[in-house]
Parts: sequence; structure tokens; C-alpha cells
Amino acid sequence: MGRIFVVELDGRSYRCKFCRTHLALPEDLVSRSFHCRRGKAYLFNNAVNITVGALEDRMMISGMHTVADIFCCSCGQIVGWKYEAAHEKSQKYKEGKFVLERGRIVDEIDFSSEVYIDTRPSMSDSEDA
Amino acid sequence: MGGVEDDEPASKRMKLSSEELRHLSNGSTIKEPVAGSSGDLMARPLQSEGGEEVVGSKGVIKKVEFVRIIAKALYSLGYIKSGAHLEEESGIPLHSSVVNVFMRQILEGNWDESVVTLHNIGLTDERTIKSASFLILEQKFFELLDEEKVMDALKTLRTEIAPLCINNGRVRELSSSIVSPSDWFSVRSPKQDIKRARSRTKLLEELQKLLPPTVMIPERRLEHLVEQALVLQRDACMFHNSLEKDMSLYADHQCGRDQIPSQTLQILQAHTDEVWFLQFSHNGKYLASSSNDRSTIIWEVDANGVSLKHILSGHQKPISSVSWSPDDHQLLTCGVEEVVRRWDVSSGECLNVYEKAGLGMVSCGWSPDGKWIFSGVNDKSICMWELEGKELECWKGQRTLKISDLEITSDGKQIISICRETAILLLDREAKVERLIEEDQTIISFSLSRDNRFLLVNLLNQEIHLWNIEGDLKLVSKYRGHKRTRFIIRSCFGGLEQAFIASGSEDSLVYIWHRGTGELIEALPGHSGAVNCVSWNPANPHMLASASDDRTIRIWGLNNLSTKLKDTHSNGIHYCNGGT
Repeated sequence: MGRIFVVELDGRSYRCKFCRTHLALPEDLVSRSFHCRRGKAYLFNNAVNITVGALEDRMMISGMHTVADIFCCSCGQIVGWKYEAAHEKSQKYKEGKFVLERGRIVDEIDFSSEVYIDTRPSMSDSEDA
Repeated sequence: MGGVEDDEPASKRMKLSSEELRHLSNGSTIKEPVAGSSGDLMARPLQSEGGEEVVGSKGVIKKVEFVRIIAKALYSLGYIKSGAHLEEESGIPLHSSVVNVFMRQILEGNWDESVVTLHNIGLTDERTIKSASFLILEQKFFELLDEEKVMDALKTLRTEIAPLCINNGRVRELSSSIVSPSDWFSVRSPKQDIKRARSRTKLLEELQKLLPPTVMIPERRLEHLVEQALVLQRDACMFHNSLEKDMSLYADHQCGRDQIPSQTLQILQAHTDEVWFLQFSHNGKYLASSSNDRSTIIWEVDANGVSLKHILSGHQKPISSVSWSPDDHQLLTCGVEEVVRRWDVSSGECLNVYEKAGLGMVSCGWSPDGKWIFSGVNDKSICMWELEGKELECWKGQRTLKISDLEITSDGKQIISICRETAILLLDREAKVERLIEEDQTIISFSLSRDNRFLLVNLLNQEIHLWNIEGDLKLVSKYRGHKRTRFIIRSCFGGLEQAFIASGSEDSLVYIWHRGTGELIEALPGHSGAVNCVSWNPANPHMLASASDDRTIRIWGLNNLSTKLKDTHSNGIHYCNGGT
């Protein structure tokens, strides 16, 4: 593994739960009402320090979309997905945006304690996509 | 273009044609092709649209012009008889008879007659006639002064030169030279104070430059055209990477791919972890490599290859980069957000440690006079230190990022670093002027060209951009093909006159592009892990080094097989591609 390139975001940022790598800024937060198999998820305009996986067509709650899973570039953990294309017109606004799973990211203010507000006991860290 | 017939020397072709033309003394040329092996390559005259005869396959060379510049070249080479013979045989005089008279008058010093002839040459531009007259009369003036005929010189100045009403400043200088000749002696060099007039041939050259080229053919015109063609060929040669490749006139210049390093000559295995950075010294005699294993290794480069010289240990963190002192006697190494260490190359000893309490260094560089060092700090500032360790200056604010290169131009004035995710700062520390290269994508790393005029920037989206940083910042070229998704991958300039770009890549290949055209030349396999950094030996255009996650360094050189084949060819014949 070479010397990993990471950018640092200024100010409060959402970070990877496992390695604290910066992932997204609060000002890029679009919606808190997304869901994934593991629970809540947030939609962001932009995310950094991620690597994008293979594109695939996936049936989501809102319809068929072309998405790609995204991973933290430092530790490799899956952190969410990216919308490449939406097959329905009403969902087009999502194109190019990123979804980060609430259970995979931490807000900076959470660092002081080991308890995360949204943690669900049923969510297992070893669960993989 | 490069057919079999081209191998025949040009003189053979000329001889054939002159034999055939001998009995056509009135200057007209044959319309049918001449029998002979090079028959259809001979200068076959065609009619251009304008009614003038042209030569050459494209019909753009006017025959009269062609013959005249050849005649001029013959005269320049000293072949007076040949030149005269050509003029006679072709019926195309080099100069019109008026111009011939004019030239003779100049060389013989018949100034007044030459001015009269000047008006008869048929120049349309009044200004040119006046400027030429001025030059001639100025010569007359100086020659009169040299002959001590001061009154005559003064008369020339008053009645002939001044009425021209041009270059009045010069007229004043000329009059002052009569009044105070001593001033002139001090201005001119000791050798020239004997004669104030320059030679008449020099005057003729000056007049040649002044008069339109159709009237008097410029000196060395044919040589200039040939040189132009050669330079264009050389610039178009994508693989041109060797000084010894003399350009020949017999065939278009084209180097084969065998001039680019493409074969692994050596695999250096000494690091115990990923090798992240490497760089040749300025003199090409050493190579420094740094690794995730927290050590830096200095390698020695000589005729037998590359050998280990010193392993420098001491850093507690992996090393992000190294920097050679301008004289290559010392080396700086920078630990990732740690300290900067200065080492002596010959002994391997650590001479100094530069650190700041509570902060970590992120990059290092030397001032071009070797007296100071610079380092980027993880609080975004850039610091300047005396060699012994005293901090001299600190540029605070958003100057550098935690992951950034640091370069100083060789005039010591500009400090270059990545100051924002998508911007590179060029800080002129004397003039206190800041320039910014702004990109659309995140910047990973950059590299400065040896002549300090260009910056090679690696971007997040797998593109490498070449920027001109002299004067206005301008994007010049883009290079693509390599792979980068997670790591810091570096690229560099290299080869003869830095005509090539090389880069590492996450797919384990070493990529080489032609800098001018942007075309990918090579993607070299060999490493079994991502190639993080490449460095081209500044003293040897055939040696390239690459550092990889597979813990090895590869030294790349020329493909031996094709160099062996080449030894069987003699010089001067165009080289075939390595494929044969």
C-alpha cells in the first residue's frame, strides 16, 4: 500500500468511523432521510478521500438507479454509495451525489466519547456489503 | 519518403542532371524524365500556376530562387568558379547587373557613384534608399577621417549626410567625433582606434541586410533553410534521446524507440518496506531512495551499475521525501509530520535535525546557494532555516498542505508548494508576490523542470498537467494513461533536454510520454506493486529509476538487443525502428 493521498477538510467534518479520515463537510449535506440496509444514511453533494467501486444497476426504494459503492481510501471500509444515474426523472437530482451511511461516519463532536448517538445494538461492524 | 533511392548521395544525382543539361546552354530544361536509377527523383521542372517554373514535388519552390541561393551558397563556400559557371549555365544571374555594379562600387570605394547606382536599383521604399545612402556616406565620412581629410569629411557630413534628415542622433555623434576624437578612442576597443572606418565587406553585409532579399540574396540563406528543416525533423523525432545521433542530410532524421530506456537493468532490493520516493543527485552519480521502513538509502551510480553506499537511519516515521544539496554533498530527508534531517553523503552521518515543538515537518528543500534550507510545516506555514539550525524566517498562513511538495527555483526567488486542494502557490519571497496555479481537480504532487520554466502537476483524476510558469501561468499539455486512485503517485521530466515525461502508476507500470506531443511511448512492466515515484538521471538520458510498493527499485536502461544490432550499421544512414 503506497503513501495514501488524503485531503483535509477545514472545520467540522464528517469522518470515517474507523480511521477518522475526512469524508464530507456539513455544508454539503443535502438530506438526512436516506436509508440503507444498515440504517440511516445522509446524502451529500460531495465527498472526498473515497475510492469508487464498480457501477451496477440497483433497485432502491425510490426506483432503479445506477450506483457504485464507495470506500474510505485509507482503511478501505465501505462507507456508502454514489449515484451515477437515476432511471426515473424525479430522482435525477441525486445524480453525482454521495450517500454516506450514518453508522459508518462520525461527526467531530463525537470524538470525545466512545458512544455514538445513532448506534444501534443490532448493527455489527463486521457486517460487510 | 525514406525509400531505397534516398541512400544514393545527392552528388550522384546532380552529376546526371548536369550531364544532360550541358547542351542546353540557353538555360531551358528538359521536359522528359532522364533515364537512370534516380531519374524520377531529379528536379523535374513543372509550371506553377503563376507561370514561373518550379522545382520539387510540391511545386512550391521557384526555380529562379532555388538556383540563385545555390549560387550564393557556392560563392560563400569559396567556389567562385563553380558559382560563376552555374550562373552562366542556368542563365540565371545571382544579382542583376545593376546590383553587381553597385557591389563593385562599394568594395572599390566609389561612394558617390554607388549612391547614384543605389537609386537605379529599383527600390520602391524611400526610407530604405535613404538608410542605405546614410550607411554608404557614413563609411565615406569615416574613411576620409582616417585619411586625415577632415575638411572633406566635414563637407560630406554637412552637404550629403545631414540633408537626408534621418538618424539625426547619429549625425550629432558623427560631428562630435570630429570635434573630440579622443572620445571615440575611449569608446572603441584598442584594436579599432587605428582605423575608424570598418571594412568595406562589413558595409556590404550591412547593406545586404537593409536591402530587400530579392535584390541582394541574404548571406547563408541556403544554410539557414537546411538548418530549419533539420531542426523541424529533430523536434518531430519522438524518440530523440541521444546526443551522438548526428543529423544527416541524406535522410530524414528519425530515432528508433531503442533510445528510450525500456529494459530493467537492475533491481535494487534493500528496503524492508514500500519505497515511496527516490531522486537522482544533480550530477547523476548518486540516487537517494526513501521508504516506509523509515530509512533512506544512498546508492552510488557508476559504469558497473548502481550499488548501495549508505543506509541512513534515525527517523521515527516513514520518510516522505528527500532533497539533494546543490553540490550533491548533502541530503535532506523529511519524516512524515516529523523532523527534517540533514546528512553528509560521503560519510552517511546525520549533521543536523530541524524540528519545531508541537509541530511536524511535511517537506524539505535547499536554497540554490546551499546556505539555507526550507521546510513545510503541518500548521500550513513554510520555514527557512540556517544550516546550523536557527530558524530565519517563517511564512505563515495558508502556504502549504500536509501532503505537499516543496520546490525552490534556482534563482532562489520562488518557493513553490501546494497551498490549497486545487491550487499551487508560487511565492516570490523577495518581491513578495504570490501567483497561483488553479486546477479543477485535487492536486496530488508536482515536479519542477530543470530550467525552472515548467511545472508538472499530478491530479486526482489520473491526469498530469504541464504548466508554463514563466510570465503568465499557462496550461501547456496533458498526459493520460496511468492509473491513480489512492496513492501519491509522482511524475518527472527526463531524457535529452527533458523531452520526456515519466510517471509511476498504481498498475505497477512505468509510463513514459513524449513531452511535446503528449503521446504515450512506453508502459513498462516489471514491478509487482504500485510504482510510487520515478526519477530520470539528469546526467544520463538513458537511465530511469522507479520506486515501488514491492519494496524494490528498478533501474531502467536501453534495450541491449537493438543496440547490438545497430553496431552493424555505419553512420549517416537513417536508422531503422527497433522492430527489425
